[in-house]
Amino acid sequence: MLTVAVETGYDFGELLRQHQAMVFSIALHFLHDRATAEEVAQEVFLSLHRNLDHIESAAHATGWLRKVTVQRAIDEGRRRSRKPQVALEDVAEPAAAGVKPGDPLLSELLRKLIATLEEAPRMVMVLRYQEDLEPAEIAAALEMPVATVKSHLQRSLALLREKLARRGVGESGWTG
Amino acid sequence: MDWLEDELRRALARQEAPVGFADHVMARRAVRPSGARRWLAAAAMVVVAAGAAGAWRQYQGYEAKREVMLALRLSAAPMHRVQLEVRSISQ
Amino acid sequence: MKTLLIACLAALPVLAAPQQFQLNLDAVAAKASQHVDVSLNSATLQFAAKFLDADNPDESRVRKLIEGIEGIYVRHYNFKAAGTWTQADLEPIRAQLRGPEWSKIVGSTNAEDGGSTEVWLHLAGNKTIGVAIVATDPKEVTVVNIAGNIDLEALAKLGGHFGVPKVKPADKPQKEE
Repeated sequence: MLTVAVETGYDFGELLRQHQAMVFSIALHFLHDRATAEEVAQEVFLSLHRNLDHIESAAHATGWLRKVTVQRAIDEGRRRSRKPQVALEDVAEPAAAGVKPGDPLLSELLRKLIATLEEAPRMVMVLRYQEDLEPAEIAAALEMPVATVKSHLQRSLALLREKLARRGVGESGWTG
Repeated sequence: MDWLEDELRRALARQEAPVGFADHVMARRAVRPSGARRWLAAAAMVVVAAGAAGAWRQYQGYEAKREVMLALRLSAAPMHRVQLEVRSISQ
Repeated sequence: MKTLLIACLAALPVLAAPQQFQLNLDAVAAKASQHVDVSLNSATLQFAAKFLDADNPDESRVRKLIEGIEGIYVRHYNFKAAGTWTQADLEPIRAQLRGPEWSKIVGSTNAEDGGSTEVWLHLAGNKTIGVAIVATDPKEVTVVNIAGNIDLEALAKLGGHFGVPKVKPADKPQKEE
């Protein structure tokens, strides 16, 4: 009786433990909905499980997971966008006066503002500031030109600064 | 250092997945087919050295067994639920 | 749509598959995010049985279970969201199972999770020659045809094995003294 050697390849459980925060957080920050983000994240890992034999390295696994999460989060966002996207101007924000750097209220406000961006700049911002990716890496993950990524970053930052400044949040509001 | 970018990094810092997330994934994974093609291909390559015909037969056999287990797994789950519901009604 | 297709083994001799009704689920498949398709005819089942380990309790049970089976045909679909598939999508299947040779023995619905299970027997005179199972929940559809003689009780007992979590039975009521 021939004994068949078993090649275990990548340990799915280990990949799950290692990357669950990344996957969940990309979905959460993009969709701004915990339950939906959890569902998307589960689907991403189930997809990883089905494609485990295509994973070539640890780095490949990270990139693969990131890319699939991005795609699925965007798909889910499109599916759910039955109601018109809330314009940035209409976001009801918490009282911003007196908010200082590091204030959790500021973080919450920023997350809400990010959630109202169009899908492409929104995902660019998530990948830049959650994952600390360079524009070239973001461009590869989103399959868009680097110049477009940089443009999204610049415009989004400018828009956020403007909105925050109107609410008295920003360097000019932190004097004294 | 740009204050807004710092705040964005703080706001968008990774959050832990919900409690039980990994367990849920593992449980859902159990009723889905596993990506075992590479495993089976590797097994097939090992046995080829011992005889091509026998090797191929072994590979086919394990593949067939895997598919039988999968088919029964998918069929057994709803039957088990029904069995329990029938029992609870008859009690 | 991502499709994962597990076809029956091409290298084995293909006998006429005794599928007992057409698994025409194109409407469901078109909406599914994942799809499993398993078709095992008699030759494949007999062949697979040789590789089931008699010393392994689970595989031994499976070996016994498939002894009288002539074919197993499974179509399993997952959906990203509830509400993607509709009852109308399953009508091509149910229409066939309303035929005189089919007898429905179970129709069960779980209000809590929205799941449902229907079981039909394929009869030839007084003899059962097949089973159809249609199991759904908001995000999954499974249609099964088992041709031949199968012990449904034994099949149900497989729940809890193969990674399928056992559902705890309701507590038995206390007998009155």
